[in-house]
Amino acid sequence: MNGPATTIARTDARLARRLVAPTLTLILLVSLVPIVATGWEALHGHDLRLPWLGRPFVGLANFVEATGDQRAGSAVLHTAAFALVSVPLELALGLALALVMHTAVRGRAAIRVAALLPWAIPTVVAALVWRFMFDAQAGIVTSPLRAVGLVGESFDWFVHPLAAWVPIIGADVWKTTPFVAILLLAGLQTIDPALDEAAQIDGAGPIRRFITITLPLLGPALVVAAAFRTLDALRLFDLAYVLTGGGPGTSTEPLSLYAFIALMQRLRFGYGSALSVMVFLLTFVVALLWVRVLGRSVAGERA
Amino acid sequence: MNRLLLPCLLVVAAGAAACGGPGGPTRLTFSGSALGPEAEIVRRQLVRFGERHPGVQVELRVTPDAADQRHQLYVQWLNARVPDPDVLQLDVIWTAEFAAAGWILPLDSVAPDVNDFLPAALAASRWRGTQYAVPWFVDVGLLYWRTDLFSAPPSSLVELQHAARGVLDAGATRFGLVWQGARYEGLVTVFLEHLGAFGGAILDAQGRVVVDEPEAIRALTFMCDAVKADGFVPPSALTWQEEQVRFAFQNGDAAFMRNWPYAWALLQDGTESRVENRFAVAPFPAGENGRPTAALGGAELAVNAHSANPALAWELVTFLTAPEQMLERARLAAQLPARRSLYDTAALAEALPIPLDQVRQALDAAASRPVSPVYTEMSEILQVRLHRALTGQEPPEAALRAAAREIRTLLARSGLAAEGPVP
Repeated sequence: MNGPATTIARTDARLARRLVAPTLTLILLVSLVPIVATGWEALHGHDLRLPWLGRPFVGLANFVEATGDQRAGSAVLHTAAFALVSVPLELALGLALALVMHTAVRGRAAIRVAALLPWAIPTVVAALVWRFMFDAQAGIVTSPLRAVGLVGESFDWFVHPLAAWVPIIGADVWKTTPFVAILLLAGLQTIDPALDEAAQIDGAGPIRRFITITLPLLGPALVVAAAFRTLDALRLFDLAYVLTGGGPGTSTEPLSLYAFIALMQRLRFGYGSALSVMVFLLTFVVALLWVRVLGRSVAGERA
Repeated sequence: MNRLLLPCLLVVAAGAAACGGPGGPTRLTFSGSALGPEAEIVRRQLVRFGERHPGVQVELRVTPDAADQRHQLYVQWLNARVPDPDVLQLDVIWTAEFAAAGWILPLDSVAPDVNDFLPAALAASRWRGTQYAVPWFVDVGLLYWRTDLFSAPPSSLVELQHAARGVLDAGATRFGLVWQGARYEGLVTVFLEHLGAFGGAILDAQGRVVVDEPEAIRALTFMCDAVKADGFVPPSALTWQEEQVRFAFQNGDAAFMRNWPYAWALLQDGTESRVENRFAVAPFPAGENGRPTAALGGAELAVNAHSANPALAWELVTFLTAPEQMLERARLAAQLPARRSLYDTAALAEALPIPLDQVRQALDAAASRPVSPVYTEMSEILQVRLHRALTGQEPPEAALRAAAREIRTLLARSGLAAEGPVP
């Protein structure tokens, strides 16, 4: 058994480990260490502005406080609701856009560039633009609605707890649909056109072909896009921060924004870290779920 | 490893050398707001201080314009016990926090002569009976009113309400009254003025939370009605800060405006303003059982507890808070001096753009915000609850009950609860 081939393989493996070691160390330093440090901080009572209280170890007290904190609870709900509304919209619109880009014969490059443009704009800039668009006095969205009497004279998007979500979700959908579309376009291009032609010869109409051929074969790409978008949506921060600041009241405040406020404004490092850990766990669990779904959909395709 | 270590050590050594070895000039650092004309005034005054103290080199440490960012930076520095900046400009609402944390020096040992300072400003610069800072300049909430629409300022809240409603019904302006209603510190100052007008408070003299008492509920109900039922404050004001409020008044869209003194000079600028020479200021009027109340803002100077030169730092504070420096600030930045005696001088009347008698009335009505080490968090709790009530997500009573409960929990957690039961 111990032929020269296995010896070489073993030496190769050792070399490989050595070559990978620096990268692994770097990854540990930049991702694992901060996560562990945040987790450790979350177990302490630490308020930068109350140094006389010290930094005692408090176990899970911060997490217990968070479960009883109404604002944290509604922040979790806001985050989940945002993901549930924005991701399906982005997938549907992204799929439509991908199909257009896929079938377009002329001006393909131009269409792709135009479609990608919103994605290339920095989120904070996009958020400011959307804020102006929804301005109550002069916004180009509000003024026509007011002119036809759909909204009242004194209506203001940012004062209404539900309406304030419209610019946030609108901006997110506008900005990230191109990303979904590009991912799905790549998926579409891997589908063998012969399948479609064969179905056409068998007499299948375009809708039938889309449902029984394109959609199933696009499955893995759709799952990847959905996974990316969900994880991004769960970390929603900048749009809410710039557009509404989480208001009116805290009706559009996502969990990451609340964690930011606890950490950077209230300077409660212990409690803020606990909230950050919750954001991390939430995203982590959802990521695991998506990885399983992805594994199943790829396996399904191979079967 | 060694290849990395050496450059690091060199950098550290160079940094230490730059901080002035023995024999070099004594360095003193000052940190504060450098917004607009402030930067120029501070530079000028620091140079003058340097001329009087040969061998002392005073540096201006520039910090972010936004007050809460400066606050965050100070907290990080002082937590790390850095010796500079030696002298800090504090917002009036921070002094108690910094004093309780032991980050700034108590000034009792240098026995500052504080008799001349405005009482409300002085109250904000003390913590548990000890002086920790010296008032530098003050800000007061003012009610701007249109002299072309009315012959006199409203003498009560009911009168203000009727006057605002009257001009709206007559179609003279788009809005009756505009104030800062966005969810930020400004909203709390507006609420404080309504509270005073109804005889309420956030904390009582013993430090107990009284923001859920009937007076406070009446005050918030008045504000909510002003937006909703009576409609003389536009709902959009619930997204406005100082500048948006000023634009509304400046464009002639509002009959009344609640704002700070800085707006005066801008409103008098005829190239931008449509209300030039057509407005005046008064204190925010009283309602039932209350008194006219003007929220006090402004800045104080304090000495870093870890300063390497506390005596010299104290001299700089004394110099900057002297009458001449205050007058210069009033002339160049229109910031109100914190010294009472200056208000009797012709020099100040000449220096300030706002008529002195109108300012004095507001200063007499000045009320400071709660002096507490956890004020900023207390304020944040209030901001959220007030905003929820004003945007119709919660009735005023429920909002204030919740705010009071949360503030009591905060005080208990911080070890600051006043005597009395904490529910």
